[in-house]
Amino acid sequence: MAGRIIDWIDQRFPLTKFIKHELTEYPTPRNLSYWWNFGSLAGIVLVIQIVSGIFLAMHYKPDALMAFDSVEHIMRNVNYGWLIRYMHSTGASAFFIVIYIHMARTLFYGSYRAPRELMWWTGQVLLLMLMATAFMGYLLPWGQMSYWGAQVITSLFGATPFIGDDVVRWLRGDFVVGDATLTRFFALHYLFPFLIVGMVVIHLVALHMVKSSNPSGINLADKDNIPFHPYYTIKDLFGFGVFFIVFAYFVFYSPNTFIEADNYEPANPLKTPPHIVPEWYFLPFYAILRAIPDLLGGVVAMGVSVVIFALMPFLDRSKIPGGAKYRPIYRIMFALFVIDILVLSYVGLKPPSGTLVIVGQVATFVYFALFTLLPFISRWEERWLRKKGLPPEVEELIRQEEEEAAKRGRRA
Amino acid sequence: MKQVIVSFFIVVLGVFVSASSQAGTTEVALKPIKVDRSLDSLRRGAQVVFDTCMRCHSLRYITYRDLLDMGLSKDEVDALRGDRGMGEYLQTTMPPAAAKFHFGMLPPDLSLMAKARKNGPSYIYTLLTSYEEMSNGKIDNPVFPGIRMPDILNVTVETAPEERAVVEQKARDVVAFLEWAADPRAQERRELGAYVLAYLVILTALLYWRKRKIWSRLDDA
Repeated sequence: MAGRIIDWIDQRFPLTKFIKHELTEYPTPRNLSYWWNFGSLAGIVLVIQIVSGIFLAMHYKPDALMAFDSVEHIMRNVNYGWLIRYMHSTGASAFFIVIYIHMARTLFYGSYRAPRELMWWTGQVLLLMLMATAFMGYLLPWGQMSYWGAQVITSLFGATPFIGDDVVRWLRGDFVVGDATLTRFFALHYLFPFLIVGMVVIHLVALHMVKSSNPSGINLADKDNIPFHPYYTIKDLFGFGVFFIVFAYFVFYSPNTFIEADNYEPANPLKTPPHIVPEWYFLPFYAILRAIPDLLGGVVAMGVSVVIFALMPFLDRSKIPGGAKYRPIYRIMFALFVIDILVLSYVGLKPPSGTLVIVGQVATFVYFALFTLLPFISRWEERWLRKKGLPPEVEELIRQEEEEAAKRGRRA
Repeated sequence: MKQVIVSFFIVVLGVFVSASSQAGTTEVALKPIKVDRSLDSLRRGAQVVFDTCMRCHSLRYITYRDLLDMGLSKDEVDALRGDRGMGEYLQTTMPPAAAKFHFGMLPPDLSLMAKARKNGPSYIYTLLTSYEEMSNGKIDNPVFPGIRMPDILNVTVETAPEERAVVEQKARDVVAFLEWAADPRAQERRELGAYVLAYLVILTALLYWRKRKIWSRLDDA
């Protein structure tokens, strides 16, 4: 019976074919490490956020006079409302942790290189959409930090030449962040996740075209691949399990770790908090904004610091496979970059003071210097390594890669 | 290489945790306390809050019915509420105009105070117990200078050790009650969390075992 139903469907919709092509016969490198779990983890966090968000929206009131109270209503009176809300607020941070690790993996192993540039760029768009969604969602509880965070970030658009004030008013729907801002942020915060889902589909279609990269950096196209199902379905499920243990720990035992204490005070347009901090996941970029003394310059630097990742396929000119594995200099640069991000986060968290301002400026300089110098260093590093003598199999791989690239060029 | 990457992310986590714990510790040195979550402490705390705090402060997210959920008996709640309805929230007896006249502002609502300050419980305890008589004879709170709230627990008057012990116990009980008020579902959350974590640990162990099993098929090839 079941077989006949599937036959019936298969004549009208490529169900079996799809499952075969994308799961049971989809070739995946067998040497993927656990760093390759973070893509599917990002997917499950997206699901958590959408499901918990829909249930929150059933009880939340996007109204400046009611928003704060309605969140407390959810926390206190709605059945398991506290669970839904803490899952959503913890989920936001979890999303960024997972995405940042996913990006770090891509940078470390050079997964952005040809032919995976579109994976990297669709991922970059996803990052921007995620940031926008998180920023708008943070206004919704209508606490002090929600309000003043939105006030500060929207005012940055005032740096737009000539029409700055109009842009800010257009974004807020008012002269200051107010009810109009709250309602539109709510509407967009509800819309964006579904656009993200669409973008994720594109990201995955691109993935299934070019297939996963792998730690060796070697193109495994035909050799040494294993079907995604059951090998990676079970490995991803195990990854979900580990993730959910950590996630549940925070939700049940430390849910306010990621919520600023000030945000349990209702928004008050007349009382500016002494120190306004963005959420932790924006701290490095916020530090770059503050490192530049000029507002317009700061805003531009902040914008560039986020989108500069998209240039990686052009900036990294080394042909040596395996990302940082065979590349000692790139490995040092990667380490420097991670340390630099941490320093910037710390600077972004603290109120600006004498030495910290300078530390922030140095860290900002290092941030951009690493990207700017990469084309030269990666070229020089490749020449140096080849002169020193790479293992013959790596030279062979480079030759194969060049052939592949030439073939791709001809097809295009 | 793996170790290098792993250690990096451990450093990442470490920096964030240490940075976020430092974020709130301004110049104020808080007296750290461990909150006594027993029903006795909550009951005594509720009494102190009703007798003293609520002369000026309200708790607008807590109703008398919530006190039943907290564990007080119907009789105890009836004694606290007098002729006010079960569904009414805990409102101060002081009219807003009088508050404005005496303090120049409305005393803040206390429902969320234990969460709205960094290290809320320690913050409240420190605030309540740090009043001192200044050299000019005025009573102030050196930890929170210029605070408009009076020394409501009589810290400056009851200085004998046994009296002081009573005052500090009162402050602890207030903290227990306010911590409950800020998150009445916290106990439920912690209890449910134990089951969820136990379930997830077992599930994950099983998934790991399955994963090993499935991947072992590759060894033969």
